[in-house]
Amino acid sequence: MSKKYQLFQTRRQKSNPHQTRFTNMDPTANKSSPLLVPGAVAAQKPVAGSPMGSSYENQWLAPEEKQRGTSPANSRTGSDAKSSRASSDSGSPQITQQNPNQSQQQPRPTPPRKSQKDMTKAERRALQEQQRLEKQGRIAAGLPKSAKKAAELESTNKKTQQQQQQQQQQQQSSGNGDDKQKKKARAPKTDQNQVPWLMHLDSPKRPETSGNKDLHPAVLALGLYFSEHKIVGSNARCVAMLETFSKVIEEHRPPADATFARNIQKHLDPHIAYLLGTRPMSLSMRECIRWLKKEISDIVEEDPPLSDEEARSRLIEAIEHFIRERITMADQLIVQNGLQKIQDGEVILTYGKSSVVENLLLETKKKGIDFRVIVVDSRPLFEGKHLLRRLAAAGIDCSYFLLSSVYVALRSVTKVIMGAHALLNNGAVYSRVGTAMVAMAARDKQIPVMICCETYKFVNRTQVDSLVLNEIGNPDELVDTKPVFNSCHQTHPTPNESALSSWREQPNLRLLNLLYDVTPSKYITLVVTEVGLIPCTSAPVIWREYK
Amino acid sequence: MTLPTQLEAQVENFITRLKRRQVIGSYEVAKETAVILRQAVSMSRWRDADALIDIIKDLGGRLASAQPKELAVGNIVRRVLKVIREVVRGELDDMMDNDDEYDDDDDDGSYSDGINDESPPPSKNLSTTSSQIGSVSERPQLTVESSMFRLLADVSPATPDDSSDTPEKKAYNLKPLIIQEINEEIIADLETVYKGIADQAIDYIHANEVIMTIGKSRTVEEFLIRAAQKRKFQVIVAETAPTYQGHDMATALSKAGIDTTVVVDSAIFAAMPRVNKVVVGAHAVLANGGLVAVTGSQLLAAAAKHHATPVLVCTALYKLSPVFAYDAETFNITVAPNSILDFQQGPLIDKVTVTNPYYDYVAPELVSLFVHNLGSAPPTYVYRLINDNYDPEDTTL
Repeated sequence: MSKKYQLFQTRRQKSNPHQTRFTNMDPTANKSSPLLVPGAVAAQKPVAGSPMGSSYENQWLAPEEKQRGTSPANSRTGSDAKSSRASSDSGSPQITQQNPNQSQQQPRPTPPRKSQKDMTKAERRALQEQQRLEKQGRIAAGLPKSAKKAAELESTNKKTQQQQQQQQQQQQSSGNGDDKQKKKARAPKTDQNQVPWLMHLDSPKRPETSGNKDLHPAVLALGLYFSEHKIVGSNARCVAMLETFSKVIEEHRPPADATFARNIQKHLDPHIAYLLGTRPMSLSMRECIRWLKKEISDIVEEDPPLSDEEARSRLIEAIEHFIRERITMADQLIVQNGLQKIQDGEVILTYGKSSVVENLLLETKKKGIDFRVIVVDSRPLFEGKHLLRRLAAAGIDCSYFLLSSVYVALRSVTKVIMGAHALLNNGAVYSRVGTAMVAMAARDKQIPVMICCETYKFVNRTQVDSLVLNEIGNPDELVDTKPVFNSCHQTHPTPNESALSSWREQPNLRLLNLLYDVTPSKYITLVVTEVGLIPCTSAPVIWREYK
Repeated sequence: MTLPTQLEAQVENFITRLKRRQVIGSYEVAKETAVILRQAVSMSRWRDADALIDIIKDLGGRLASAQPKELAVGNIVRRVLKVIREVVRGELDDMMDNDDEYDDDDDDGSYSDGINDESPPPSKNLSTTSSQIGSVSERPQLTVESSMFRLLADVSPATPDDSSDTPEKKAYNLKPLIIQEINEEIIADLETVYKGIADQAIDYIHANEVIMTIGKSRTVEEFLIRAAQKRKFQVIVAETAPTYQGHDMATALSKAGIDTTVVVDSAIFAAMPRVNKVVVGAHAVLANGGLVAVTGSQLLAAAAKHHATPVLVCTALYKLSPVFAYDAETFNITVAPNSILDFQQGPLIDKVTVTNPYYDYVAPELVSLFVHNLGSAPPTYVYRLINDNYDPEDTTL
């Protein structure tokens, strides 16, 4: 079994150079139509193959990690290639002898007759089962019935879990094979939902906690929280992640041959990769990690070298310092700065739920200013409802609208204040999907738009549209619409279930749940940061000063 | 003006259903209104066209005020009134010049084209309908000249006593003519509305396009399905919370074989760079070319404008209303807010103001083209279409 797997792998390596060339070339690729172009195997894959995967990870891992990251990968594939070449001779006679056996197996459910081959009956049966499931999975996905595609799928699944590389060598290979089957059976469903022009984005994954015994349990729990949307929001996720890493650092004891300082980086890498696998890193989390790696490398370069204890405590302290200064205190400063901008009689509109904006509004109320708030909300997360609850509890006069009626809401609004997930280098705001529409609508009515953003969220990258880098959420969240009693349609029976409940059976239908969008800088009047009130086009200057 | 009881019962039934919003969709409303008005023409007693026009105006006013934001009612009433006037004018023409060949501007051909009004000269109106005097000067110059010519040529038309006995004689002729006209021009026209729009679909959609739409509109649905028979393209449907009409639309489109993607309303701007055209339906089209459409349409149109994407509006001509929206919210209605913030939120409901507007006003600058059942028109041409289909004094019912 393991030899068969390695055989797949060699084929995958050969096909790698082709697949990047043909990604996204075919805009009309209907997901259910079989591929006609032999080289364009990448047009229907849910996740791009390994070259793309590694470049995506390269965005999160710092440049010096890339060599460390890819070299173990290279060594792994190198060793596999060698072992596969050695076993290919024994592998191929197995394959040819499998097929006649298979044809005779189908009518008879009994185990195969004895033969003189190396594999035991159980192994052969498992192999046939594996091939049958594979074929089923491929047919269900409408993919060509070649093993090359299966290998590519396997390779991408491998990328997200580095642990399986060690497992495949041992007796757990059969269990691994089954695992692969389950993944392939799941893959067709996500395959179907892939929007053609968003193939470069990862579809939502589920965290695989089964194979990660080496990871700190706190990180596993954090990954689950992220994927279940229990922790949402840029600040919350960053703080949670940093605190968890702080715990990991505290409890990490390096192996005997390495110092703490040098080893901690390598130790954290699989954790970071795991978190990447659960939910793509937010841009601000990425900046935090970049800062963390810089701290670690600073400690490593310290001369004379620090002791383990010192390094650990230094690192933990640095993380605490970061959280306190650049997130907590920054929020307070932003509130102070923003308070100058809200006067009596104002009507403030906000979108979604931003922790900074919430603090600002609560502080304004405490200061005694007479103002009203309009909260605009949207599907499917309905984050605005939580904000609404808190504001109403504080006694603020609130109204609530859905995003589609924002023009009606804007009739009485004097200012729009929103939060951001990240601020890009060209001054654009990367934030919850829908922010761009509110900003555009406000701009059309000449209402000023203020963004509240801490400086740690300023990133050194640029996006010109929202599709180049985004996050795709779970499409099933769109299906769940509560039966709506709409007085406009009284004679129509309100449906008990949503019209889309069987969307997966519809071949031409797909749901897209985008999570972020990019607001062009021309819609934004002002950015409130802890260092002051700046125009959004000054973002790269701030990034340079405070990185 | 009292109507016969059977008709009255029908009218009351319709008014009640309008008030409760039990008649769904402007198409159904228009059809029922046309049928009721036809009944009114046939069943009520009138001796001359004046009286008929008063009856219809009265009835129409009642119907329109039952649901003032349902503009299709008023539109059909105005149409019927115009039909009546045209028929009467046409009849007078026939009566006056029996030996004259000037009967080419008959009743039939004149209003179905809608573009060039070949209506008979308005000077005859002095005798039959009382209120056309003011409008004579607004008519194009051409018809005034021909009327002057005819005045000189024929002495008899202008005399009032001539008109005193003609209406009586004509009352018996007018009724079947008017009913025939209502049947042909209005009711039959309504039947072919969807086909007329769908026939033009291929002219507007090219291969491999990505089209974006919002809400559930039967017109747009038929438009896209017809285009899909000849072209291959993709559709993105915005789901229009809180009614989630977009879900139904997407299901219908995907069943017809069109590659459909459902997105949340908030992703409209994010997905817009990828979209080639926006096609929407409308609840009503106002006199300045603005639209009353389902909530979210203004967002969609504005986002399209920012990305320089053309916006096509598929509407039928019966949705064209000769009214203006002085305020963007003039024609908006709010429906039950529990679909936004439901009662399970508990004490929050008391502290918060929740509004659930059902419609949106889309400014005419955001629309590129109206595709209607008799062709297409840019928003700046809408006033001409209104002139062709309605009489100016019918604007207030």
